Amino acid sequence: MTSTPRILNRILIGILGFKLLSVGILLMLLATVPAVGTWWQSWSRSVWDGANRVFEGTRFPGRTESWLWIVLALVLVVLIGLMVAWVAQQGKGRTDLLLAAEDPGGVPGDIRIGSGVAEQALKNALAERPDVAGATVATYEVRGQPALKIRLHPRPGVPPQVLAADTSALVAALETVVGQRTPVLVHIAAGARTRFSRAERVR
Amino acid sequence: MSSVIEQQSEAGDVPGEGAAGPAHAAPFDMKRVLRRETHSSRAAAAGLAAALVVLLCLYALLESGVRAIGQPPWLIDPHTAADRIVALPGGMPPLLLGVTGAVTAAAGLFFFLSAVLPGRRARHLLEDPRIAVVVDDEIIASALARRARLAANVTQEQVMVVVSQRQAVVNVRPTSGVPVSENAIREAVEDELRSMAPVPMPQVRINLAMSGVIGA
Repeated sequence: MTSTPRILNRILIGILGFKLLSVGILLMLLATVPAVGTWWQSWSRSVWDGANRVFEGTRFPGRTESWLWIVLALVLVVLIGLMVAWVAQQGKGRTDLLLAAEDPGGVPGDIRIGSGVAEQALKNALAERPDVAGATVATYEVRGQPALKIRLHPRPGVPPQVLAADTSALVAALETVVGQRTPVLVHIAAGARTRFSRAERVR
Repeated sequence: MSSVIEQQSEAGDVPGEGAAGPAHAAPFDMKRVLRRETHSSRAAAAGLAAALVVLLCLYALLESGVRAIGQPPWLIDPHTAADRIVALPGGMPPLLLGVTGAVTAAAGLFFFLSAVLPGRRARHLLEDPRIAVVVDDEIIASALARRARLAANVTQEQVMVVVSQRQAVVNVRPTSGVPVSENAIREAVEDELRSMAPVPMPQVRINLAMSGVIGA
């Protein structure tokens, strides 16, 4: 339901994983195979010398430090900013508007129904049930359209199809009140509250 | 149970009115939502990866910043660090080097695999005409265990059900001296599964333990 950038997640995690994996394997090879050690020393020496030459060529006039350090620092700051932006994208997509429509009648103005209406109504209706240990309702915006996500934590042994059918009926009742078909996802979830709560005895 | 059935029949009359609401401008892509709901978003791994990169960057930033303004280094001077890395197999005990490499490779493997593998979550879908329903496998297992327990007439602790994508394994340890019918359990569990109708439908397998439980 959230607008988490999943493909971006996979790509970035894959790149980081591949890099860490190759560094780790290189370190392990360095520790065990002597031939890799000699190759590494000659190869990395040439790379380091090249880098040194670049640093020496970019010195501040009259000083020993290179301005490349400042460029490097800026690059790192940008990288940190990108990482923070990436994390901020995770789990986004909550909205607080269930319905926004223009009133076709003669009165000027438009209609807005806050998502709290549906959330509170469904939550209260579900919380009364003895076979549900907990219920949360949230509104998400999926591709510009509001959708409800209902998460139910049933008590142990409760058949999920019964819960699903009853929730479906509740949603139908809500739809007649709001006057719009809202897409609804019900997640019947296991969790600590399901696992350790008392089984419902009298049914 | 009875109150539940009443509620259902009461609300069952409503859908005709509900359908009279305004039609959607664009069709809602529930298939995409369900696909996303049954697969991991890798948000946790992403957060971990970002935190790792940020920490490394902050440290490098500190050292290069200190270097740029000509101050003494905090932990290690970038030049000394590079010299040590170049001289690597030497200057460090091979065991420590190997362990460091193994830990780094393991972390890399974790990230790489979580990116490459499909990341399926242990969830099934339920059919419903109006709403989309996703159920954790644990909930299905718990419901099946309850039915199997009632059919076998044993206590809660004697039944263990494991539900995976295509299989539901029901393990029952009968009470010593009380015969338990495997067919009765199978029928009860399959009946429950039929009325639940999870997608994809798991195959039922019943394991009756050879040894019984005493005094249950």
